[in-house]
Amino acid sequence: MGAMGLALPWKARISSAPRERGTRVEPSEHFGGGANPAAADATSEDAALAAACRSGDLRAYERLYAMHGAKMKNLARNVLGNSNDAEDAVQETFLKVQRSIASFRGQSSFVTWTYRILMNTCYDARRSRLRKKEITNDDSAETPRLEPRAPGAHPALRMALERALASLTRHQRDVFLLYEVEGFRHAEIAGMLEITEAASKNTLFQAKKNLRLMLEPPRPGRGAAEIR
Amino acid sequence: MNVTCSDRDRIFEDGTAAEWAALETHAATCAICAKELRAWKALSVAAEELRDYTADPAFWPRMERALAEQAARKAHRARLRRWFSFLPELSLGWQTTLAGAFAVILALSTGWVYLHRSPNGGSAGDPSLLKSKALKEVESAEIVYERAIDKLAAEAKPQLDNPATPLLANYHEKVLVLDSAIDDLRAQAGLNPSNAQLRHQLLAMYQEKQHTLEEVLEARQR
Repeated sequence: MGAMGLALPWKARISSAPRERGTRVEPSEHFGGGANPAAADATSEDAALAAACRSGDLRAYERLYAMHGAKMKNLARNVLGNSNDAEDAVQETFLKVQRSIASFRGQSSFVTWTYRILMNTCYDARRSRLRKKEITNDDSAETPRLEPRAPGAHPALRMALERALASLTRHQRDVFLLYEVEGFRHAEIAGMLEITEAASKNTLFQAKKNLRLMLEPPRPGRGAAEIR
Repeated sequence: MNVTCSDRDRIFEDGTAAEWAALETHAATCAICAKELRAWKALSVAAEELRDYTADPAFWPRMERALAEQAARKAHRARLRRWFSFLPELSLGWQTTLAGAFAVILALSTGWVYLHRSPNGGSAGDPSLLKSKALKEVESAEIVYERAIDKLAAEAKPQLDNPATPLLANYHEKVLVLDSAIDDLRAQAGLNPSNAQLRHQLLAMYQEKQHTLEEVLEARQR
């Protein structure tokens, strides 16, 4: 595993001061990571958005894009590894939503349903890429190709984290991205990935344990077998 | 609430707010838990590095176009479905079978017509076949009508050729004009036999000639 022996002094370089999201405890987080409006308002807005999209109003799709487009693209980029594939996945997601909005029955929230479509679209894109690379005999198919991004506060940390994430299982990576990066609640992640809420919590726990092992400086006597 | 080091992983996985607070309190006096807690939180802080919400202004217009195109295609398909809504709801397999059966019937019919066509049925050298049956009937009726008027004209000819009165002289002039107009119209109708307007005008001229000749004959009797 490439990132196993990475000795990154990351704890010394980033503040360990607890931030609001750092100690997220269910159900204190708000979906979307922004302001925390009343749940009822969010539900009615979600239903109104779904109804407007069902009626074919393109402005409703624009509103959906304004609310979630950047977050969807960021999520797709983290899953797929580059902006072009991410934009394609987001566009395909919107087209799929438009095609199948009539089949949306409201079992989950409209936005959760949209993100579920996005995740499935990303999986499809990854599978398609895998098939293409199998044809060309490229061994690095499953690992997302990471492209340079806008420099953040800790570019070395970001790169290390991206490499470490690529070494996680697909579910661990997705749950980590949805929870820690995009700020979704476990209930929402469960709806998006079609797993239970408890499974989402456990997967996040395993993901963070593995990331810790991969990002910490190597200690004598610890091997790859520790990573689950 | 009291927590111990053994509760740490459980709280990390699924702790309540109260349990997290208790773990923080415990970490103040436990170096190992303090280190684990810091590392755990630091992962969440590090995750922010993967957040890049910079917007691409060209992205939405592109996507809007794609959505509009798809909506237009969807509306077109819906219109087509309405056109064929009188058909029963059939599965794709049945639709394919029916389309295939229709193609076979069409091919067989075409073949049958081709094989059973009359050997003398060729119409290349016979322009009369270009005329419909109705047109032929009109033409034959015209010929009969024309002959009847010719007979009438033959009867009136002596009076018209040697008009005894100015009135008969006028009738003579009128018949000459009508004959000239009839000749013109017949020439045009010959070029365009299906022109109903020409045939209507020709009929009116014949009727006028008929009335004129009848008046000439009546004038003779008086």
